[in-house]
Amino acid sequence: MKISLGWLKEFVEVPAEPRELRRDLTMLGLNVESISAARDGWVLDVEVTTNRPDCLSHYGVAREAATFYRRALKPLEFPVKESAEPASSEIAIEIADPDLCGRYCGRVVQNVEVKPSPEWLQKRLEAVGQRPINNVADVTNYVLMELGHPLHAFDLSRLRQRKIIVRRAKTGEHLRTRDDVDRALGSENLVIADAQRAVALAGVMGGEDSEISSSTRAVLLESAWFEPVSIRRTAKAQGMHTEASHRFERGADIQMAPVALDRAATLIAELAGGEILRGMVDVYPRRELHEPLLLRRSIILRVLGAEISWEEVERILRGLGFETERRGTEGWRVTPASFRLDVTREVDLVEEVARHYGYDKLPTRLRSAPPRVEKDLVREKELAISARLVALGYREIIPSSMVDPAENARFTDRPPVVLANPLSQEASALRSSPIPSMLRALRWNLDRGQNDVRLFEVGKTYSPRAEGLADERRVLTLGLTGHRKPVAVYEGEKEKVVGIFDFKGDIETLLEAFEIPGLRFEPEGCRYFDSAQGGRLVAAAGTFAVFGRLDAATMDYYKLRQDVWLADVDLDLLLKTSLRTFTFREFSRFPAVERDFSLLVPEGRSYHEIEGAVRGLGLETLQSLSPGDVFRGGAIAAGHYSLLLRVVFQSPTHTLTSEEVAGMSQQVLGALERLGIRLRT
Amino acid sequence: MTLEEKVGKTLAELGVSDAPAVEALFAEVRAAMDAERQELTSRGAADDRERDKLCKELRDRWLARKNGLMSLIDDNWLKKAVKELKPVVGRQFNDLRKASALMQVEELIRAIDSLRGRAAATSSAAGTLTDDLTLAGHARTTSTATGTLTDDLTVPGYRRPLGSIHPVTRVLREIEEIFLGLGFRIETGPEVESVYYNFDALNIPETHPSRDDWDTLYVDSKTLLRAHTSPVQIRAMEKYGAPLYIIVPGKVYRHDNPDASHSPMFHQIEGLAVDRDITFADLKGTLDFFAKKFFGEKVRTRFSPSFFPFTEPSGEVSISCVICDGQGCRTCKESGWVEVMGCGMVHPEVLRHGGIDPEQFTGWAFGLGVDRYAMMKYGINDIQLFFQSDVRFLEQF
Ligand SMILES: [Zn+2]
Repeated sequence: MKISLGWLKEFVEVPAEPRELRRDLTMLGLNVESISAARDGWVLDVEVTTNRPDCLSHYGVAREAATFYRRALKPLEFPVKESAEPASSEIAIEIADPDLCGRYCGRVVQNVEVKPSPEWLQKRLEAVGQRPINNVADVTNYVLMELGHPLHAFDLSRLRQRKIIVRRAKTGEHLRTRDDVDRALGSENLVIADAQRAVALAGVMGGEDSEISSSTRAVLLESAWFEPVSIRRTAKAQGMHTEASHRFERGADIQMAPVALDRAATLIAELAGGEILRGMVDVYPRRELHEPLLLRRSIILRVLGAEISWEEVERILRGLGFETERRGTEGWRVTPASFRLDVTREVDLVEEVARHYGYDKLPTRLRSAPPRVEKDLVREKELAISARLVALGYREIIPSSMVDPAENARFTDRPPVVLANPLSQEASALRSSPIPSMLRALRWNLDRGQNDVRLFEVGKTYSPRAEGLADERRVLTLGLTGHRKPVAVYEGEKEKVVGIFDFKGDIETLLEAFEIPGLRFEPEGCRYFDSAQGGRLVAAAGTFAVFGRLDAATMDYYKLRQDVWLADVDLDLLLKTSLRTFTFREFSRFPAVERDFSLLVPEGRSYHEIEGAVRGLGLETLQSLSPGDVFRGGAIAAGHYSLLLRVVFQSPTHTLTSEEVAGMSQQVLGALERLGIRLRT
Repeated sequence: MTLEEKVGKTLAELGVSDAPAVEALFAEVRAAMDAERQELTSRGAADDRERDKLCKELRDRWLARKNGLMSLIDDNWLKKAVKELKPVVGRQFNDLRKASALMQVEELIRAIDSLRGRAAATSSAAGTLTDDLTLAGHARTTSTATGTLTDDLTVPGYRRPLGSIHPVTRVLREIEEIFLGLGFRIETGPEVESVYYNFDALNIPETHPSRDDWDTLYVDSKTLLRAHTSPVQIRAMEKYGAPLYIIVPGKVYRHDNPDASHSPMFHQIEGLAVDRDITFADLKGTLDFFAKKFFGEKVRTRFSPSFFPFTEPSGEVSISCVICDGQGCRTCKESGWVEVMGCGMVHPEVLRHGGIDPEQFTGWAFGLGVDRYAMMKYGINDIQLFFQSDVRFLEQF
């Protein structure tokens, strides 16, 4: 809402510079976005929150200023010079649907001369962002900006049988509004009609046919009060938003209707000539009185933490147009003003007191919440996960959760959560797979010449459920492409691209932060991975991670030209798993003995089986075992491969003798023999 | 005494009788070895034959099995060392032997060649080195340098590439930590939310224009993507009752077309404190503390009235502009203040919806945009950067 300083000063003395006024209004909750100079002087752009339609006018802002600066607010008195002829002889007004129209005031001005407004009025309207049209229309706009009450002017001669009926539209009824749109109406729309047809969309916009034109001689001025919810519905349904609907849907002042009407009628008579017919036609079916509210002093203290004097509370509330009446020592009976539809509860009055007392003057107190014993385990785990991933070189990303459902469907059969009013097709559903987001992130970087990329995302997937809200699952996604290490040859380091064991090792290192007994690899990947280059890590609690190299078809789809590795980690499962705890284990002070076994292994035997067989022996002195070299071809018999298995023995109690080592080596070989594995000769 | 003379004597004859003296002696030998190698490699050779000859001579002087310096040291110093000194001499000799690997002919040749190559590279000579010239500066030095690289310590150290935490997460965590320190607990809620929790329970009826302040993405008439983290206020009140001290971080969604300051998905943190004797003073005190902790001890806070349907009284918190210190500049639109969050005393109706008796309990709440905080903190001017996953952006944090 643009407020002209000069106009404001017609209602209240402002003992402040524009800059100070800006600050003071802001401190009252009327945030001033900017101050600018117009032809008519300083203009303040005031941001008015949706609960304060009373401040959508110069008079409303003046009331706030008057209360704040402790100055008098000029009363609204507009004496009307009327002609002898009664208005009622020219117009009959009927409210057929009083639930939607609480009051309808009308005045008739005859023998007007429609022409451009005088300079001063045009300047004022321009200063507050309104385009001057003609003197009659301009007056209605002027009064709207001044008093905040929307008015409408009809060309009286266009109203059939000089009749106004405020009623719901009939099914199939049409109205061509002033913006030249033919609007189909229904019973949810309130219209202003004459004897035959709708002539205005009540509280939103007038009809084209009854609009003021240069040939208009007699004007019917409407000043009404419409039910906010109905105006909001109508404006929304018709896709309209006007100065009038903006105020009516927020709640206009029912008692301002006749005042604004008198103001407009006298201004029209002044600027366009003509006579105001005697009497206002005032149909007022809903004389609702504002229920008085009880304001307890104890509540002010309880909410604001401050004692505010009786007098100060009264000064503020009265200044704002409320009636107050003391109730013993308890507090007040307060009758809210008709223009303050937002004030319906005791606490609303507390806010009024606080606003004008000054938030900055209210006390300040810093207290902690009661101390808590329990730890935030989820947060602890999340921090552990990201710390490990950062150490492994992964960068965190936060991609949009919104995806194209067709792209999403390549990666999962779970349906995504489809939006009813998406911004675009590419963002029309909440993903049910995290993979498309990760692939887009990798591609974004590859397209920009960044070829070594490691990313992770801690996010969610979403899928509708038959009952209740969506199934939201927490996921951790890893994406990896490019070189193993940055190209460097400090010690003959060669460029090497990432392979399955690099990636598997990263995931194993990540999972190592948790206590997962029996974690094992299973070769079954998923449909968008190369079958030979992926798999999953599984334990009794479930599948912790599925990972692998993106298959050729999906590479093509994303136009990727280098290998991409992806892992989908079940974060919900991981967060349910305990972090690894630490217990010191005594290490042996006796020497370790290393034995290398050069084995001939039948194809098909996995390292997992070999390790299982050796560990299955339960040798107390078995310290570690690891695969050394794998070799195929050459002298190796067909259907076999050669594996160098390195086994370390160490006793906690003594130096192992060569006999002991030989004995254990025999046991190892014996166990392996049962798998068809023997020593190479 | 020359080196040759020294290695011909025993340690006792040299008067070396303790560990420090042994170490000093070996250091001397090591220095001589390095100096001789360097002298050879930097002098270079006229042609390959001469190069090979010089390298062999130096190698033999040090490593020849018979009468090479190393073998003499072995015989005269190590083997003849007294028992007490044996361990330290053994260690020192071992180190020296490792270092002497660089005195092998092949190593010396490589060192001479690579130095020659380096010179050629800097003078843009043709040949195989042109390939290296296309590499980035850092890669060029390293890829040609194997032998001499260890000599030039101005070469940057080998850095293991670390990952990084997203700036929004950084700010989220920082804010969380401030409130965790005040005894608040972290609470989360669903992103696909019911219209009831997102609006109705928060005193935002469909029939009131205030609902238009949240441009909402809908799933259907009863379900939406939460437009703020405030629904978790109600959920937490229902779940835990009062007293309640929580903060709620999370993603929220709006029907906003993406541009430099808007994103359909962004992050908020909500805070809520409900207890028996909470007043506006607690709200002011806590948020002032928070603002100073986050933005700096020197910032001043200003509380001004505002409107949110779920708080009454409602307010906005502004901090003194850190650019102009409150004097007025373009960043703060000449006002000296920058708005950083919305707040207020929990509306009695909202408490009631959460199953808490407003005659018994009062509360305060705040909400802030995490992405905007990250933009302010790190000087980021385009919110889209957060969601593009560009490594050039991510690696800066
Ligand atoms: Zn500033």
